[in-house]
Amino acid sequence: MSKLKLISVVSMLIILTVLIIPGSLIGQSMSDNQYQSPAAVTETLKKMAGKYTDICELSSIGRSYGGLDIYLLEIAAGRNNSKPGERPAVLVVANSEGFHLAGTEAALNLASTILSAYGKDNYWTAFLNDRAVYIIPLLNPDAASAYFSTPRQERAGNGRPLDEDNDGQVDEDGPEDLDGNGLITLMRVKSPEGRWLIDPEEPRLMRRADPKKGERGEYLLYSEGYDNDADGEINEDGPGGVEINRNFPHDFEYYNQRAGLYPASEPETQALLRFMFGHNHLAGIINFSTENNLLNMQQTGRARAGTDRVRVSSRYATFLGLEPEAEYSLKEIAEAMKSSGMVGAEVEIDENLVATFLGLGPAMNLDRSDQSIYEELQKEYKNGLKEAGLDYLEKRARGVGQGSFPAFCYYQYGVPVFSFDLWQVPETKKSEKREGLTPDRIKSMSSEEFLTLGEEKIAVFLKEQGAPSNLNAGRLIKMVESGQLTPVRIAEMMAKRPGVSAGQEKENPEAYLLDYSDTVLKGQGFVDWKIFNHPDLGQVEIGGFVPYLKHVPPMDQLQDSLKFHIQFSQKLMQRWPVLSVKETKAENLGAGLYRVTIYLQNEGWLPTSLAQGRRSLAAYPIRASLKLSEQQKLFAGRPVEMIPVLQGGESKKLEWTVQAKKGSNLKVIVRSNRINPVDVTIKLD
Amino acid sequence: MNKTIKIIICLACILLSATSSGLVLMAQSGQDRPAVKLTFDHFYDHAELTSALKQLQTAYPELMELVSIGKSYQGRDIWAVIINNKKTGPAEKKPGFYIDGNIHGNEIQGTEVALYTIYYLLTNSGHLEAIDRLLFDRVFYIVPTMNPDSRDYFLHLATDSNSPRGGLAPYDDDRDGQLDEDGPDDLDKDGNITYMRKRDPRGNYRSSADNPMVMEPCLPGEKGEFIFLGSEGLDNDGDGLINEDGPGGYDMNRNFGFNWQPNYVQRGSGPYPFAWPETRAIRDFIMKHPNIMGAQTFHNYGGMILRGPGARNLGDTLPPDRQVYDFIGKKGEMILPGYRYIVIYKDMYTVYGGSVDFFYNLLGIFTFSNELDFDQYVGTIRAGRTRASEEEDSSARRRFGPVGNLEEIIYHQLVLMGEQLVEWKPYKHPLYGDIEIGGVKKMGRRVPASFQLPETCHRNAAFCLYHADQLPRLNLEEIKVKRLDSGLFQIDVRIGNSQVTPSISALAAQKKLHRPDILRVQGKAKIITAGVMTDRFRELTEPVKVREDYFLVQNGIPGFGYVDFRLVVDGSGEINLIYDSLKGGYLEKKISLK
Repeated sequence: MSKLKLISVVSMLIILTVLIIPGSLIGQSMSDNQYQSPAAVTETLKKMAGKYTDICELSSIGRSYGGLDIYLLEIAAGRNNSKPGERPAVLVVANSEGFHLAGTEAALNLASTILSAYGKDNYWTAFLNDRAVYIIPLLNPDAASAYFSTPRQERAGNGRPLDEDNDGQVDEDGPEDLDGNGLITLMRVKSPEGRWLIDPEEPRLMRRADPKKGERGEYLLYSEGYDNDADGEINEDGPGGVEINRNFPHDFEYYNQRAGLYPASEPETQALLRFMFGHNHLAGIINFSTENNLLNMQQTGRARAGTDRVRVSSRYATFLGLEPEAEYSLKEIAEAMKSSGMVGAEVEIDENLVATFLGLGPAMNLDRSDQSIYEELQKEYKNGLKEAGLDYLEKRARGVGQGSFPAFCYYQYGVPVFSFDLWQVPETKKSEKREGLTPDRIKSMSSEEFLTLGEEKIAVFLKEQGAPSNLNAGRLIKMVESGQLTPVRIAEMMAKRPGVSAGQEKENPEAYLLDYSDTVLKGQGFVDWKIFNHPDLGQVEIGGFVPYLKHVPPMDQLQDSLKFHIQFSQKLMQRWPVLSVKETKAENLGAGLYRVTIYLQNEGWLPTSLAQGRRSLAAYPIRASLKLSEQQKLFAGRPVEMIPVLQGGESKKLEWTVQAKKGSNLKVIVRSNRINPVDVTIKLD
Repeated sequence: MNKTIKIIICLACILLSATSSGLVLMAQSGQDRPAVKLTFDHFYDHAELTSALKQLQTAYPELMELVSIGKSYQGRDIWAVIINNKKTGPAEKKPGFYIDGNIHGNEIQGTEVALYTIYYLLTNSGHLEAIDRLLFDRVFYIVPTMNPDSRDYFLHLATDSNSPRGGLAPYDDDRDGQLDEDGPDDLDKDGNITYMRKRDPRGNYRSSADNPMVMEPCLPGEKGEFIFLGSEGLDNDGDGLINEDGPGGYDMNRNFGFNWQPNYVQRGSGPYPFAWPETRAIRDFIMKHPNIMGAQTFHNYGGMILRGPGARNLGDTLPPDRQVYDFIGKKGEMILPGYRYIVIYKDMYTVYGGSVDFFYNLLGIFTFSNELDFDQYVGTIRAGRTRASEEEDSSARRRFGPVGNLEEIIYHQLVLMGEQLVEWKPYKHPLYGDIEIGGVKKMGRRVPASFQLPETCHRNAAFCLYHADQLPRLNLEEIKVKRLDSGLFQIDVRIGNSQVTPSISALAAQKKLHRPDILRVQGKAKIITAGVMTDRFRELTEPVKVREDYFLVQNGIPGFGYVDFRLVVDGSGEINLIYDSLKGGYLEKKISLK
């Protein structure tokens, strides 16, 4: 009897679960519109590779900590003419975070778009004949699996077990789905130690008590679960390991377990880095993650250069005509270096270079000339977003994170990287109350956009933010014009001011999520609080936002953005540099002497190397080498001309004088790892 | 009865005879005729090292284990030796001391020091009380060379004293897309890379008046004799540069995963941390043995006992840990005459991504790095100089001729009889025409001469053994059991540490780098409550969070100190009290609850 009863309760629960799981409505519905689990991604890739056998190849670059393959799709045609691995190529990487399922979707769509364009579209046919595209649609399969597991719990870490509470045991106290709804949400429990309050404006939301207003906290918040190891803590050491998008080696956060013990400690990170350093022809990278570096150019950390006054060691001080005992700003040292002539005239001397020279550490900001490239593209991108009705993305766009993949690509690999987040929780009308400028809005502006606001609006903004009186609008504008300040820096400065945030946080910071859940998701994004008798805590309430609400939209909400970003990514790929020889000349100077001139041009839009690529020594200079036959002799000029960079559209004249037989041919070969090779033969008459 | 006495007498005789005969050769070996006889008057190549290690393994199977911890880029075994006296317990229950040498391929003598340390421990075990005490409660992990490829390259192929420093994975030093395409060339086929010069009356160098082998820069107005053409070599790839991309080109001691910086901030760091098979092998080995608490790495040269940090951005070492370093480092200055105990970034130069910082900052291991030896000629020949050249010296420029200064050349001529010197000799260079080649050979610099090597080995081994002895030595002192009225038992226990090293470094405790120490009861017992006694006179205790049969000791036991614990236990009969420290050893004691 009692057994029967139990069974019926269980089956009731199962039925309820199926009915309740919002996920089943959001992403997991039985239609075609669903996100793909790691296994499904593998299937999709295998199908692609099977369908387009001539132009693509599927391989695994390694395995995740949890043992899942990380797949790489190589798309390149004309495989008999040249090895795809030696051609200039673009790398597309998605979902390093695991929960960014939209990224995987975008990468797969991009792959199938390019594959199906081959043989139909002239541009892409030519592109794939002498270049290559590499696509890694799922870098962090361990974390991605969590979305497809029950109970569903947001997870960004790979499968490495961590001892989060440092008790000598790993993963011994993770969450449990106590209310059996298939979702790990929150528990709130009344406690004298509580720091949270039920928001009086919206009782479903919790808000931190503000002691300044005389408020006292009433609740503690926990994630759903038991104290499995009886140590008095709940869910303090659950599964989920290192976050791959924090495990890369630029501005790595040491002593943060989630970032890993050291840079590239994880097999996923290592696999990707091994691939990238083994393919020195990758000219640029498109990344799909929660970072959008065209909308938010904020970099990982504050620049160390530019603020400090430093001493110059006596060894260098003598060369530079500086006092070894005195302290100088980096700018002053840069000036001294320029006038000392110790660096060649072709090298641009700025604070960054000085920082490197003095051993002050790595670059922490976009180089100015690179920034102008990003700003140009930002304009185009923003216009595109507006036209596609996607400009809601701007407000919550995130810059590149510490130890992130895109930060590594720019600062250390030294190539252009464009990162797209694809989706943000849209703001309903209700929460868009404030029309004025906010630090958030300023942050996503280019310098130019900021300046077009005009002095009046900027003055209002400064007043609202409670800026000190010596920082008036006119001065700020001058500083932005001269490049001393960027909108990102201004936003950072304002965000750091005490008391300012109070005004903005009048509204619960999670209110927009609830709006989104109520309106767009018809309430499916929130689980209402329900009482539960907890064995460790007594009576608690379980509820809160469903996992993944912020990161995984219903598939139909994503479609417009996917379409736009795939088009924009294709557009970006067409911007990469292309070398060509515009013109050649051979002048007969008499006596068997010839003056040979070639004009080398970058037909592309992007420069042949980024300034940061050159600074980080990761760029490859263009090398134009003269190939002389036995009878030919170089009379004037260098046997190998090194060209550090050709800007988009720029051309460069190269000249040699050779002694050669009339009617013989002179060969020049132009090489640089990340650009197409060019061979020139010049007839000497 | 009779039998037992006989055995005891026999044993005593063996011991006596061993120690008395051992006295004679104590400096190198405790035994008159050790099972394996190694000499330290030359350098071991990888084959000879391998064979020596295998012989030792065969001769001392009860103490030594030889393992290959990985393969180098070219496929050589990277050997590690584990020395543990199994009779006194398994290795992982004793504090471990780690040694490696030769991470820089050309800095070869660290291997001999490491091998000597192994040899000394093995051959003196059972003969020397100090060694037996060490082997009683310490375990040694020793990697004589972590860079066997470049070691063999250095010993067998033509090179100079400065290379190859890194490993031998091809590396594009000049970013031309080609790897190792233009290294130095041994033009005169003498097995060494020395220097090239060309006679030219407009040159900016001249022969020294004191010694024609020495080349010195001309002072203003002086007539030149030579132009200096750099290291022996050709422009192999026809790009107008000579020797711009030689073998390897990276630095494995900038490739460790703490405070790592890319190549443009730290030259030679490699594409990312642990990018090379050799650094990975070391990482995996040392992380597989978390009981390692002290470490020593060997480099050359300059006579330094170095500690981290390697770079300014790390700030200063936490004061309690600094005291440990200072205590051992200053003793090191006594053991190693002329060596200075100093800090890498402050007193030498900045090193990002060095192994010393990785070991200490992420693994909680107290680590020193010694720069072995001085210039070979140091202290030899001030008298060889003329008055004129003494005066010129004051202008400093004269001292640093590109191929060697006066003292150095005289040392090579008079002390080493020219063994490590190539006198200038003519050569026909395809580009430069008639030139001369000459200079000091690779073994004439940075490494000790064969007559100096044994002293380098012994003194540095002694420093390692001192450090190993100063690893934590914990004792269960003063156990008091008291039956309370309630029927529970109150156990007061003091854990002491007789050495300078704490059982957990201050940094490891602060950053939670590894699990804390554990105090556990085993048997019919449950801990009701426990605490650390903060004032034993007033009997004040700071409570700790208890889990049934154990609790965590977050800060371990301090160096030269103790911690008093008070436990209230519900139990009966014989129970075990266990103090289990990851890096400080393992203690166990039976107590009875009655």
